[in-house]
Amino acid sequence: MVITNNDLVNNKYKDLINIKFIDGNYRDVLVFARDKIHEGYELLTHPLSSSVKPNETPFKSLIISDLKGELNLDSVIVIENSIMTYDKFNKVNIRFNEKVIGDFKLIDLTVLESALNI
Amino acid sequence: MKLELGYIYIKDIQFGETSKVENGIIYVNKDELKSIILEDQNLKSVEFDLAKPGESVRITPVKDVIEPRVKVEGPGGIFPGMLSKVETVGSGKTNVLKGAAVVTTGKIVGFQEGIIDMTGPGAEYTPFSKLNNLVMICEPIDGLKQPEHEKALRFAGYKAAAYLGELAKNITPDETETFETLSVTEGMKAYPELPRVAYVLMLQTQGLLHDTYVYGVDAKRIISTLIYPTEIMDGAIVSGNCVSACDKNTTYHHLNNPVIHDLFEQHGKTLNFVGVIITNENVYLADKERSSNWSSKLAEFLGVDGVIISQEGFGNPDTDLIMNCKKIEAKGIKTVIITDEYAGRDGSSQSLADADVSANAVVTGGNANEVINLPKLDKVIGHINYVDIIAGGFDGSLHEDGSITVELQVITGATNEMGFNKLSAR
Repeated sequence: MVITNNDLVNNKYKDLINIKFIDGNYRDVLVFARDKIHEGYELLTHPLSSSVKPNETPFKSLIISDLKGELNLDSVIVIENSIMTYDKFNKVNIRFNEKVIGDFKLIDLTVLESALNI
Repeated sequence: MKLELGYIYIKDIQFGETSKVENGIIYVNKDELKSIILEDQNLKSVEFDLAKPGESVRITPVKDVIEPRVKVEGPGGIFPGMLSKVETVGSGKTNVLKGAAVVTTGKIVGFQEGIIDMTGPGAEYTPFSKLNNLVMICEPIDGLKQPEHEKALRFAGYKAAAYLGELAKNITPDETETFETLSVTEGMKAYPELPRVAYVLMLQTQGLLHDTYVYGVDAKRIISTLIYPTEIMDGAIVSGNCVSACDKNTTYHHLNNPVIHDLFEQHGKTLNFVGVIITNENVYLADKERSSNWSSKLAEFLGVDGVIISQEGFGNPDTDLIMNCKKIEAKGIKTVIITDEYAGRDGSSQSLADADVSANAVVTGGNANEVINLPKLDKVIGHINYVDIIAGGFDGSLHEDGSITVELQVITGATNEMGFNKLSAR
């Protein structure tokens, strides 16, 4: 399942794969994923993918397993560490223009697609 | 495999009527080079500028830095799989225009980064302020998508570097240096008493502006493998990534990998430098498991006593770094890791996004969150209005007087994780 707040990802793949679109920010995506992981879903991609820092890009897409199993401790550690890392970055208050917003979405999409292998 | 590098020391670069290298000066015929670059139909225009050490010049946003080299003897050509055929490089002779570089700039995406200041406090943080740089400002044709734009710009850099390198083909070098890697069995016989050491070189591989290529192959698609260190000196590995400029390896870094140079320096004296294992930093966690399994397996297979691991980037690669370290240590092989830190502006936060007790020998390239003030410089090559929206820039980064307040992460090579920088703690 892809969890994303990036509408570019959602619009491109919503009819093709299992997507949960989050109407929220980067952290909301991480928190939703964390909750699912605690239910027993496995984390499949790194939550801090891309070198565009979490305090710069508003967009995040990540993948968890479609099926729920036993609690995966590795997944728990990675997602919890990622949320802690997210929280340590100084937040920026830049109003990005449409072009930059679109570029952030595109980078998030290409990084996700490197894992989707599509 | 044995390679002789011939250094031709460059003290100046100028535009001229005929492209040539003479008495340590590179002369560039702009029009001739322009026509070569514009053979790419995805590029609308290209402008050239020069940036020399000490000049009041700021280059931004930097995409790649490339050292001009040329094969003089031996199989293959520079940048195999990209410009040259995929023949195995790394033997024979290669000439190097030492002290010069091609720097590519361009606004592929709206948020940008990568600053090289040729003077002032910023210059101290980037090794490229010490070079005679030919800067290229390329504009794509209208409507070109970002991935094609990125590729066009990347190749423009290689072509310009190869063009300059070609000028050095028939020049007698000022100095030569020879690097040789013996086969595993020959090495063991030659240095039976010395500890055997390999280098695990991690390559950034995540997507657009986050990629690296090995003999033309997108390194996302490789499994960890072996490469002779001298192949890398001939451009077998090139950079396609620049986001978060402080800890990304430009092509220049790969060509001049300081870990490789230092291991060769000690080779036969205090250690036996066995070779290089390259591995990637994919987003998919199963890829990370597979790649780190393979790098540890190869280290075991080579029978080494110790390994140096260098990282590229932050966050996602921290996990690859720790996996490599943990798995190689578990095979009874000592590791030293080279990384950098995102420890907050005061340096007090957790440095890495992952950790393990086996990572007990760590070299840091510095804290990328450290804030620095860069004064206004007389000339900007590139696009300064992007400084507000680069990694490490923030609201109000660009002041009215033209100075900027930024985190170190904007400066190309500032906290490089091969150790090709000046930040250190002694």
